[in-house]
Order: sequence, then structure tokens, then C-alpha cells
Amino acid sequence: MTEMLSAGSSLLAADDSNAIKDAINALCAPHWFFILSCASITVFMVGYRRFTKPGFALFAVVGFTVFYALSALDSDFRSIIAKPDNVPITMMIYLVGFFVWLSFRQAAINDQNTEMGRPLSEAGSDDKVLVWPDLVYIELIALVLCMVFLTVWSVVLRAPLEQPANPSVIPNPSKAPWYFLGLQEMLVYFDPWIAGVLLPGLVIVGLIAVPFIDKNPRGNGYYTLRERPFAIGVFMFGFVILWVVLIVFGTFLRGPNWNFFGPYEFWDPHRPAALLNINLAEIFWVQWLGRGIPMEGWGPLPTFMVREAPGIVLLSFYFFVVPAILRYTIFRKLGAQMGFVRYALMSQLFLWMVFVPIKMVLRWTLNFKYFVAITEYFLNF
Amino acid sequence: MATKQLVAKVWIEDGCIVCDACETSAPTVFQVTDDSCVIRPEALNAEFTKPLTDSIEEAAEECPVDVIKFETVAGEAPDAAPEAAKEAAEPAPASAPAAKAATDKSPVPVAKAAEKSPKVPVAVDPDPSIQALLRAATARGGAAAISRSDEHATAALQSLGKKPASELPPDGRQAKVMAATTGRGKAGVTRRGVLAGSACGVGWLSVAGTGAVSGLAFQRFMMPNVSEEEDPRVRVGPLEVFASMAPGEVNEVTKPVGFWIIRVEDRLSALNIICTHLGCIPSWLPNDRKFKCPCHGSGFRPNGINFEGPAPRPLERFRISVLDGIVVVDRSKKFQWEKGDWDNPECFIEV
Repeated sequence: MTEMLSAGSSLLAADDSNAIKDAINALCAPHWFFILSCASITVFMVGYRRFTKPGFALFAVVGFTVFYALSALDSDFRSIIAKPDNVPITMMIYLVGFFVWLSFRQAAINDQNTEMGRPLSEAGSDDKVLVWPDLVYIELIALVLCMVFLTVWSVVLRAPLEQPANPSVIPNPSKAPWYFLGLQEMLVYFDPWIAGVLLPGLVIVGLIAVPFIDKNPRGNGYYTLRERPFAIGVFMFGFVILWVVLIVFGTFLRGPNWNFFGPYEFWDPHRPAALLNINLAEIFWVQWLGRGIPMEGWGPLPTFMVREAPGIVLLSFYFFVVPAILRYTIFRKLGAQMGFVRYALMSQLFLWMVFVPIKMVLRWTLNFKYFVAITEYFLNF
Repeated sequence: MATKQLVAKVWIEDGCIVCDACETSAPTVFQVTDDSCVIRPEALNAEFTKPLTDSIEEAAEECPVDVIKFETVAGEAPDAAPEAAKEAAEPAPASAPAAKAATDKSPVPVAKAAEKSPKVPVAVDPDPSIQALLRAATARGGAAAISRSDEHATAALQSLGKKPASELPPDGRQAKVMAATTGRGKAGVTRRGVLAGSACGVGWLSVAGTGAVSGLAFQRFMMPNVSEEEDPRVRVGPLEVFASMAPGEVNEVTKPVGFWIIRVEDRLSALNIICTHLGCIPSWLPNDRKFKCPCHGSGFRPNGINFEGPAPRPLERFRISVLDGIVVVDRSKKFQWEKGDWDNPECFIEV
């Protein structure tokens, strides 16, 4: 064990590149990182009874901490995590991991109880407490501890303040506050009004609509995964992947000029990165049909309608035909239960949620820019 | 046999405030509707009201606006009443099932009472529609005969409402209320309606007024108190300095005032430094020969054309001209590539 640790530390601490660092850097290429995150969440949810056992959880925490600590020996990685701005990210990783584990652990216990015919672990428990003194004391203690924590934090870590704003000297990369890094990441792939207004608006509308969409009473007041795999899967994807993982992206992988860097790579602002983006119109008209992009309208259709016809057809198919197909295949049972209006709402929100990662993966792998690029009217999807 | 003044007729004068007090005291006699109080049809009968003398008097005393009026006749005290009247007396505590028992028997005491006290102005031969109504009332627990809405009024009550006032029991007020009850919804202008409507109108007008005033205040708030804009025109320097730039070169001297001077082939232009994606300021990377935005990674060629990242359109250019050998850039006028502005002669200087 000690030998492994020392071997690992010597590998990760060495500032020059080596096989392990190169492998980790390669795995942190955005599409691999994203696919691996989705895969690990899926594997975790499928094997949750095994993976939430305390022994396994302890192993995971210790393993991750050792890896993280050894990584901190690398000067490039250390410069990321030691930045006062990024201290909350480390806390977030541990806290999200802990709470995900906790809820799935309780779900595993409950699901096993239900299968064996035993009562739920929440059954008969009366977790009501008196406001005075129980709750008030807890709140007082929490308040004092938070005060201590924030005081120590503000004394120990320097506030990340910089010189007055100057258009000639731009922080590179310019990063949003850590909790908005997921939104900033989305802005790379979409028009500002889509990534900054429409998508966050859909998130809020979708959360408001959850009680209307999901009337299933199962899981109310007790933890379970077996009875609600789809609902919990959607939550894990929407929150852990599309919010938390994107924050990790923005913190560890986005370097100068907003290029992707591996965690052990030096943030070189002059590293060449060829990112020639192409629209679907160019792929369709130029690469597939071998002719130029249409520059004239067709009958009553304006130019942009002809030019963007493949993208408009594709997106219409995605948002209007795919729900109907899903209704009679994967969501057959769900669609019958929900009725037309609720199913339509649910499927639109669901497809928008899936649309974001589809576009991101296409950008990373094919340098794909927009399905529909009507720059004349700032409509770029 | 003790004699006592018994209530033979009860009516309600104008001015009821719909307070429900009387219905609480004597629920079998009074019914409070949406906008008035009516005497229940069964209580138009003297033999019905006589046993309820105590509760009617109590209701009249309790009425806060004293609109409950009644006539009394001398009669036997309930304890010595004939068998039928005795049964009728039982609902005195005003409980619904007891009232049911009383009304079931009502045809008999009506005839007797008519013999005994002919002065009482009650129809001697009970109106069949009233009888039907009484049966309906008793069948539904005594309280539901007159519903508060037109649809639920029984056919008997509706036919009652259609009768001319002369055929109705002698209470003009009662007839009016009946008519209003049966014809609800078609009733004309009422004082209550006018008051409620005008109060509603005043309320909404004041909401709209408040909204309009605060909207105007907000609009004023959005305007700057002082609009001190620096002169959009910048005298950049002598033309020779920039004319000596090589084609494709980018001069960053003027970046602090918001533009780069670029040379594209044999034209000098002023390129706005604001990224067309979300308004960050890109950096010029001389090694890569591109402008690169640090916020979301948009990339622009040395001539300002976007080619990577999310920026939807090229960087904008400013108006540029030569005045007495000095290059002047006017930042108030922008030229956009997608509008075909870049060939505008104000957009470049030929060198």
C-alpha cells in the first residue's frame, strides 16, 4: 500500500508529463469526461445496492481523497484547487457525493425492506421535534458554527480581488462565479438568449411544473429508487450532470481563451487550438450535396428558410415527431397514464434537457456550431 | 286555558342588512337570501307561526335594524292547544325534524284556525302550489325549499313567483322578494349592484392609476440624471503611422478607447473590441493571428470575421476618416458585415 502510494505520488508529483498524467488528461477531454460521468452515474444507479454499502462508500471516499491529494502535488492542478475562488468546488464535490450516497443508501435499505415484506425504515418514526428548545438550540448552534466557519475562511483565504477593470487587461480566462459556471458552459454552445434566458427559464418552468407532471404518490415521504427509477434518473441527469458536472468542467478543464485543458496541463494562453465551427447548413449543402450554400430564396420562401431547411426539418422532427414515437415505444405506459397535455409538456421539457448535451457532444466531436443559424434574426439553435 | 298573544303574521320591512340573526333564532320562519331576508312560504300560515311565537319575538328583538314586524292575535297557550296544534307546537325549539312533523300536519290546523280567527288574513283554502312547496320543503329537511339560486328553486316556488301579487298572501314585501327570488339574474338595477359596481370601478381605477404612476416613475428612474458622454470621435494619430502597417496587422494602441486599428489588404479600419456574443473583450493573439474571447471562447480572424466559438456574427467596425492628416474614429456609427456595411466608404481608409 505504502509503495503504491509513493509510486503514485512520484508519478503525479513529477511536473513533467508521464503516462498516467497523459492518460488522465486524455480522459478529461470533454466528450470522454461527459460520457464517463453519465456512464458512472448509470452504473451507480443500476448497482446502487452494492455501491452504497458503507465499505464501498468508504473505499470510494478514501480513494478519491488520496487521488485528489496526490494530484495536488502537480503544480498545474494545485494552482487550480488552491485558488481561493475554487475552494468551494472541492467542498461541493464532497457534499454532492455525500448526499447522493446518503439518499441512495436509504433507498437501497428501503427497497430491500419492501422486497422482504418488512416495513419501511421511515414507518412509525416520528421525527417531529419541539421548536423550543430543540429546534432553536440546533439553529443557534448552526448559526455559531457558520459564523466561525466563515470567519476562519475569510481570515485564512485572501479575497480574490483584482485591480480596477481595464479593457486592455482582461482576465484570461474570465470565469463566472463558481455556481454559474454551468450556465457559462452552456453559453459556449448556444446563442446568448437561448443559453441565458430560454434554457434557465425552461429549468424554472419545468421545476414549477413538476407537481403537475408527476402526480405519482410513490416515494412521498420515504426513500426509494426501485419505485421511481425514471424520475430519479432524470433528476440525477439534470442536476448532477447538467449542473454539477458542468461546474467541474468550468473549474478544472476550462483554461485561457476558454479552451479545454487537462487537469495536469499547463494553462498556456498561446497553445494553438483549431476550432473551426461549421453549421448544419454547410455540412448538408457543401459536404453532402457538393454544391454551394443557397444564396437565394425559393418561391415565397426567404433565403434563410432555404439555407436552413435541413436544420429546421431536423429540429421539427426532434421536437414534434420524436415525442410521438416515444409515446408509442419507450413511454408507452407513461404516456397512457399521463394523458395528452401532461405528456406533451413532459416530453418537451425532457427533449430540451437532452438537447443540451447532444449539442455539446456534437461541438466537441465534430466542431458542430448550429442546427439552425438564422443570424439575420438572432435565431441560432 | 291560559290565553296569550300569539303571532299570526310576520313580515319584513325594507332595510334588511342580511345579517343572518333571524335565521339563527327561527330557522323555520326566516330565510336569509343573498340580498334580503324572506319569510319561508310555510310560515305564511298563522297556525305555523303561532307555536313559534317565542322564537319570532326573539328574532324581532334581536334584529339589529328592527325590520321584523308581526301581528298578534289572542290565542290559547301552546300547552292547552288541541291535539293537532299541540303537535304543531313541538317545533318551538326550532329544530328541523320537529318542523317537519309540524308541516306534515299543517292542512288540518289551517282549517281550524280559519274557523277560530277569521280576521287572520291567511288564504282559507291553501294554495296548492304552497302545499307542494311545503311537501318539498319537508322532504328535503325543511331548509332547502328556497335555494339561493334560480336553478334550484322548485317548480312550485317558481309558479308562486309568477302569480300576481293579489293572489299571493297579503304581504307586498313578500311578493316583491318572491319575484326577485324567482327572477334572479334578470333583476334590474339594484342599489346594492350600483354601489358594488361603483366601488369595484373605483378600486380598479385606482389600481390602474397607481400602476401608471409607478410605471412612469420607473421609466424616469431608468433615464440617467446626467448624460455625460465623452465625445464619440477619437483623434487617433497621424495617418503615416497607420499607413505603414503591414496588411493583416493589428494595432492595439487604441484598445483602451474601444477599438483596434486593423489593416486588411490596402484598407485601414477601426474594429470594435466588444465581442458579438455576450459583450466581453477578446484578446489579440499574435501567434495564432486571431482575436480570442476569454469568456466563452469565440474566435475572430484578423479582419473581424467570426470562425470559432459561439459568436453569431463578426465584430463591428466604426466610422473612420482622415482630417488634416489625422486619423479620426467615430465610435457612434457602427458598420456590420452581415448587413454588407463594410464596403461603405466611411468604414475604411484607402492607403
